[in-house]
Amino acid sequence: MTYEPYGAPANPAVTYASWAQRVGAYLIDAIPVAVIYVIGVATRNAVVLLLFVLIALGVQIYNRWILAGRTGQSWGKRALGLKLVSDNTGEPIGAGMAFVRDICHIVDSLICYVGWLFPLWDAKRQTIADKIVSTVVVPA
Amino acid sequence: MVVLRRGYSVPEHVAMFAAGTGLLGAVYPAVLAHTGWPGLPCPLRTLTGVPCPFCGMTTATAAISHGEWGSAAAANPLVYPVAALVAATVPVLLARAAGRAPGPRPWPEAVRRRTRWAVAVLVGLSWLFQLHRFGFL
Repeated sequence: MTYEPYGAPANPAVTYASWAQRVGAYLIDAIPVAVIYVIGVATRNAVVLLLFVLIALGVQIYNRWILAGRTGQSWGKRALGLKLVSDNTGEPIGAGMAFVRDICHIVDSLICYVGWLFPLWDAKRQTIADKIVSTVVVPA
Repeated sequence: MVVLRRGYSVPEHVAMFAAGTGLLGAVYPAVLAHTGWPGLPCPLRTLTGVPCPFCGMTTATAAISHGEWGSAAAANPLVYPVAALVAATVPVLLARAAGRAPGPRPWPEAVRRRTRWAVAVLVGLSWLFQLHRFGFL
């Protein structure tokens, strides 16, 4: 156990990723999935489209849930120097919780997508999904 | 207690976002007209039929971007205080960019609390307006 020097603040100043950085990381994560899906649609073949949808789902599972869950960094977050961690431990949250977090983003969308804007004013720059699963996005 | 380092204050963040959506709002009707896209639906209203406090904000933003103040108010009057925030904040941001204004300073906790209450009241009133607009009240 470590002790803070007497009189020092209990917690040092904490920085969190800005809303714009988070949007940028999200778009970078979404681009490969969107490109694969659009290529599938362009083939105009239901079987090929299904195949491409499965590939896009695989990319999503690997990037947003396995990679981001285990390391804290999806491709987008790595590109922008961000990290998704537990607010309680400061460690990556694991693939399962990364999946749950993305499911919880449904709540962010429910009231005209305003939950996605919460990082603009929230003290920890969390979306509602972040609050549900106790995660924060910080500079790596 | 978490001490947050922000380059901009919360009102400035919200104002910058609102100004950006205002610019998008200027071209939004043209995009809808040319693509046939129906626009962003409110998931809550789509799923349950009940509007949320922010329903109509896209329409109101597009309307106010074109100077259609009445149409904006009919869709969601919440756009007025947001537009006022943008009008009050953009000069400050420009002055700071020109080195003529100091950086943001943290507000006292009492002011923060009062602001949170004011925003909550505005959002509550907006929800009542939307419930009336869609025939629930």
